[in-house]
Amino acid sequence: MSDHLDLPDYREQSPEVAARFASIRQRPVKLEVCGLEKRFHSPEGERVVLQDISFKAHRREFISIIGPSGCGKSTLIRILAGLETISGGDVLLEGNAVKGPSRERGMVFQGYTLFPWLTVKKNVMFGLEVSGRSGPAVESEAMDWINLVGLARYANAYPSELSGGMKQRVAIARSLANQPQILFMDEPFGALDAQTRAQMQAYLLQIWKNVDVTILFVTHDLDEAIYLSDRILVLKANPGEIQEFIEVPVPRPRDPEQFISPTFLATKNRLEHLIHPRQPGQEQARLPITKMTAAGDEVE
Amino acid sequence: MKRASRSSDTVSWFAIRKPLPGERRLLLTVLSFVLPLALWCLVSYVPFIWHPDIKLTVAADREGVTTVYTAGDHVARSYFDEYANAVRRENEAVQAGEGTTRSGFSARRNNVKILRAVAPLAIEQGWISENQVTDNAAIFDVWEGLATGRLVSEKPELTPENLAIVQEDWQTLQAHWAEDPEHEMPSDPLLKLIPQGRLSNPVYLPEPHAVLLTGWKDWNAEPAEGRPSLPERYRHSLYIVFSGFFLAALAGVPIGILSGTYDFFSKLFEPFIDFFRYMPAPAFSTLLVAIFLAHDAPKIALVFVGTFFQLVLVVANTTRQLDYSLLEAAQTLGAKRLDLLRRVILPGITPSLYNDLRILLGWAWTWLVIAELIGVKSGLTEVIETQGRWRNFESVFPVIILIGLTGFFTDQLLANLRPLLFPWTPEAIGQKQGPLVRFYRWVTDQQVYVRDDKPTTSDPA
Repeated sequence: MSDHLDLPDYREQSPEVAARFASIRQRPVKLEVCGLEKRFHSPEGERVVLQDISFKAHRREFISIIGPSGCGKSTLIRILAGLETISGGDVLLEGNAVKGPSRERGMVFQGYTLFPWLTVKKNVMFGLEVSGRSGPAVESEAMDWINLVGLARYANAYPSELSGGMKQRVAIARSLANQPQILFMDEPFGALDAQTRAQMQAYLLQIWKNVDVTILFVTHDLDEAIYLSDRILVLKANPGEIQEFIEVPVPRPRDPEQFISPTFLATKNRLEHLIHPRQPGQEQARLPITKMTAAGDEVE
Repeated sequence: MKRASRSSDTVSWFAIRKPLPGERRLLLTVLSFVLPLALWCLVSYVPFIWHPDIKLTVAADREGVTTVYTAGDHVARSYFDEYANAVRRENEAVQAGEGTTRSGFSARRNNVKILRAVAPLAIEQGWISENQVTDNAAIFDVWEGLATGRLVSEKPELTPENLAIVQEDWQTLQAHWAEDPEHEMPSDPLLKLIPQGRLSNPVYLPEPHAVLLTGWKDWNAEPAEGRPSLPERYRHSLYIVFSGFFLAALAGVPIGILSGTYDFFSKLFEPFIDFFRYMPAPAFSTLLVAIFLAHDAPKIALVFVGTFFQLVLVVANTTRQLDYSLLEAAQTLGAKRLDLLRRVILPGITPSLYNDLRILLGWAWTWLVIAELIGVKSGLTEVIETQGRWRNFESVFPVIILIGLTGFFTDQLLANLRPLLFPWTPEAIGQKQGPLVRFYRWVTDQQVYVRDDKPTTSDPA
């Protein structure tokens, strides 16, 4: 990704993309975050992790949150899911302030977090059973969600019998079975290998197409963020603040071939600038080990 | 350079952190039991390895020495010659007509004792029964038989020296009885049999076969009137251990789980328990007897005290080890307080809890011996205590081994049941399932066999 490539401005949107964003803005606001602040207390004193975070997520919108490591993107999503307390500001779900975790706000973690003692089906039924429902209706409903993620054959398998990608599909089905207003995903594919990750991204878009849910997706993978999202919230570190909220100009439906389209590359270029601002002299850095330099010469 | 060709499945016996093939594992497992046994046999049956003692087959009393040896006693090899020579010197003195300090009844009585020295030998040869030790006629008969060669002792043989003594004494007796129709004992001292014996290990290391045979004999022995038999004692000991352990688990598991779940209970219970566990359970023995009086209650209480406090801390720790993100996930799925405890914490920790209880059952066993000593001695420990005091270690070892085997097999059984109870643990899924497990699965979940396509770990997509 270099500057001399002739790339369009990432802010330029084709008419259909612009129309799509216009329609999204018309949709009701699901989640509203106003002036959110998070401070951690440590023996060295108070540390501000997040500061002045304000944004809105509309119905069925897909928003990614990216930022350099330590910018508090995981903390942000955990606050929104109700797993961490707020130091200041408000989080409103459909206009109501949220407090603590709830089944309205689903969460998919990087570490799968399936209940190992329950079969795939029972895992998916967990949320339904906790809400006081039981019986064959719950079971068939769970099977529908398992079908949606393509794991019907494994309904009676235990999580330890599944691969990482399959586990994460179960975790998604489990969250969606509760029919949450909003689904938070905290680097859900971070532990998967590149091929599985690509598959999972396609799966996720497919699922999202079929389900009425707003998704907030934390990742550190720029391609993933662009490929999946409508908008990308870019945070900066120390303190964690919103740096930019980018509307992705890549048209839908998304396709892996778009990874090399000019709009995609332009967005990626912009994101790289935001996250890894280039410092002068950085590229001249050489390892002082002569042996390594010599080996490098041969390769080139 | 060509590498030495090697079939790919030959693994070195000492490959670092690589599991050995099944048959080698089995071989080593068998060896781990066979080797100590073989060592025991080696030390017991090969005389020149150790054998520092001599086990007496014929004993003799000495004049003016209070230590009395009887057949079956052990004396150090270095002392044995001194002992035998002392007896020889006494005999020489008798032959020289000296050393007759006794007279009349006392002298005659001493001669009876000399004659009876042959009794253990005669019992072992089956010439007389154990009740006939004080039967003079039977003893005379043995001496007559030995002197005339009608009876010949084998294993142990009588030394030529002792045989000569027997013959000489028998002549003395015959000469005396020729004048005395009453067959009274002569008042002139007879010659004593010189002590003899065979090489042996110290009394605390009996031979394997002796342990096995004595154990079998004790197990089947009719107990004395009103006393429990060994199987009854065994059941009683099991009752003490399992009652104490069961009560400790009944009280300790809920407290442990609460402490591991809520910081409130953790801070309320754990500091004191942490302090209390350092007070050794046996220190409370007299107190427990005062509270619970005699019989089984104080014994069960001691096992309880010894197990409970450890159990609470271990269970609390196990509960804290549960992956916290599972609780977070459950919360985002709508689970609240009690749901979290009932649906996440309890099922999540049971496999670890099961392991903890297995280990703590082992702890409970260690308190058994002390528990059975307090108040009125009982159970297997009473056998260990009394037989040990009499130095009948061939009766003590079987009891110790019985306790060990019980603990070992209980633990093995529980370990093997684990995959049945928790089929979802990675260990259970990775394990090759035996017929028992397959049968259990078939009974509890027929779907496993109805389903035509078994799940594999590969993703089909």
